[in-house]
Amino acid sequence: MKNIFLKTQYDADKRGHFKKYGGRYVPEMLIPALENLEKSYYEARKDPKFTQELMELFQNYSGRPTPLYFAKNFSEHLGGAKIFLKQEGLNHTGAHKINHCLGQALLALRMGKTRLIAETGAGQHGLATATVAAKFGMKCTVYMGKVDYERQRPNVFWMERLGAEVIPVMHGTQRLKDAVTATLQDWIANVDDTHYLLGSALGPHPYPSMVRDFQTIVGLEVKQQLKENYGINKPDVIIACVGGGSNAIGIFNPYLEDKNVRLIGVEAGGKGIGTVGNHAARLQKNPKVGVVEGYKSYFLQDKDGQVQNTHSISAGLDYAGIGPEHALLWEKKRVEYNYVVDKEVIEAFNLLARKEGIIAALESCHAVAYAMKLAPKLSSKKNIVINLSGRGDKDIFIVADALKDKKWKEFIKNKSREKN
Amino acid sequence: MVSIQQQLQKIKKENRLGIMTHIVVGYPSLKESEKIIQTMADAGVDFIELQIPFSDPMADGPTIMQANRHALQNKTKVKDAFGLMKKMSGKISIPLLFMGYFNTIFNYGVERFCREAMECGCSGLIFPDIPLEEEAKEHFLKFAKKYNLSNIRVLSPASTPERIKKNAEVADGFLYFVGRKGTTGAKTKLDEALNCNLEKIKKYVKIPVAVGFGISETKHIKSLIGKAEVAVIGSAVLDRYAKAGIGKELEGVKKFLKLLINSASYKKPTR
Ligand SMILES: Cc1ncc(COP(=O)(O)O)c(C=O)c1O
Repeated sequence: MKNIFLKTQYDADKRGHFKKYGGRYVPEMLIPALENLEKSYYEARKDPKFTQELMELFQNYSGRPTPLYFAKNFSEHLGGAKIFLKQEGLNHTGAHKINHCLGQALLALRMGKTRLIAETGAGQHGLATATVAAKFGMKCTVYMGKVDYERQRPNVFWMERLGAEVIPVMHGTQRLKDAVTATLQDWIANVDDTHYLLGSALGPHPYPSMVRDFQTIVGLEVKQQLKENYGINKPDVIIACVGGGSNAIGIFNPYLEDKNVRLIGVEAGGKGIGTVGNHAARLQKNPKVGVVEGYKSYFLQDKDGQVQNTHSISAGLDYAGIGPEHALLWEKKRVEYNYVVDKEVIEAFNLLARKEGIIAALESCHAVAYAMKLAPKLSSKKNIVINLSGRGDKDIFIVADALKDKKWKEFIKNKSREKN
Repeated sequence: MVSIQQQLQKIKKENRLGIMTHIVVGYPSLKESEKIIQTMADAGVDFIELQIPFSDPMADGPTIMQANRHALQNKTKVKDAFGLMKKMSGKISIPLLFMGYFNTIFNYGVERFCREAMECGCSGLIFPDIPLEEEAKEHFLKFAKKYNLSNIRVLSPASTPERIKKNAEVADGFLYFVGRKGTTGAKTKLDEALNCNLEKIKKYVKIPVAVGFGISETKHIKSLIGKAEVAVIGSAVLDRYAKAGIGKELEGVKKFLKLLINSASYKKPTR
């Protein structure tokens, strides 16, 4: 059985501080619930039965281990380093989000909670939450910014089929951060029976550490698969997209102490990082520390500390903050943070589909797009692992729009005429 | 200007429940905020919270959230809040407090914020999202104290005796008790467990207690008499303002507050 609870020099202290980042900045009404969650998380860490149960769910319910696939055509096309894809999109529900959902659902059961609530951007985390809620017989409410509710419609539809109530959030920028706020507000009102199943490695302590631990399975599998299937001791580079930072921290965590492995997080450059509101690249220009949504980290904010609008073609990266451990990893220069723009993301999406027959989520395509720039500069002896955090089925409307697909438009038109 | 302590004593002497009201700076406009504050003071409230608008006000319900958004769309800045505080504290005698979210203070610099708040005539700070555990890093209590600002601790029905005790130790001026689980917003019924919760709080808290969240009717005020020292009326005033006919907003607010204030008097001195 794998130990997912690793220790690294970048871990948080007992109060959830990753040096100056993280912490627990919430109103008093949420403190007891967070203390309770922290307690049951620490107990679970020490309980082999918990890990065993989680591993069984990973395997039998989610389909883990997910493949580590050598993308030969793609690598040869780029003409440089070898590229391996960690296929998190082949999980049940289509993304890495199920990992921390299963973990947190087990904790919620332990705490005797009967209702799960969650925020979602791309809808993948909401979908995974609705899924575990159905499986464990819990009620479920998912908050989704109105913009995301519209653009990730397929996931809204599936969440509702799974029995979840999906609420579009009309406040603020109507995106992920506003969904987080709405979910916190629901939690404040219903804290007795409800667990807030947070969807990334952010928020107040213990979420950043807990979500990281449940995602660490990804990096641990990569380690084993590289060795056993490819005879590779360690990768030279690992690349992952960074929204809140859950998929990235999951694949990085087992390698944090090994300085020979280059770690790269890719942020959403949107339409370009020159203009406020056009991107979600928090660590690129002059990152600014703030305290928002219960934790201290870097946020896109103005002079007064008002959180700024963001844009990304991928809803899952369209977020103004970044998990606190990433803030520390950036400060310590352990992880490099770069960005790619929407246009490059669509190119990456197309190339991967054509060369490997893999339709990847637009979030994950940020990592792919960066690899396309890096791989040709490296020798064929170098190995790059990309965390392909999700599959792209959910993005059908966005991709069709971006590619201005005429047949699809026609289809939608006809479909809307069909009714009555 | 009267201090929070003096105002509390006055309330006690007058045998009544104190009233604290709330405005969002810049909603519906900076000019109008000024008039609302004046109207509230004229109506006879005891304290007024000036909320500094924030983009992500997590403890606020729909009414106040909307007001925050509106104020920011009006391009209300933190310096406008200081400006308003300065102007109004010079005009009216009751204590004015800043309410808001910690990112505003953090971003401004904790010491600088506290110093300038004091210089503008602010009497206290209500910032619900900065718990005691972060004090070692932020020094929020320390600087509030240094600059003579009452640090109003906020407790809720979810607070355990341990949390109540911890907060009671550092609470200053009065304690703000959130009367029910949930965000801000006017409700027709107060939480049934309120009395019970208040007793729990009173066991550990020796300073006056203000009860907020959901208070919108005279019967709410009456039910608090003898159980708490101050009633906080937040969203209900905003709702009243919004519902009044154009040009009659201030008059509407004044009438509403008068009604509530009149119901806050003890018939007989209790105990
Ligand atoms: C497929 C996929 N990848 C990545 C992300 C970004 O989240 P994180 O940075 O927490 O992995 C999301 C979020 O919705 C997602 O759906």
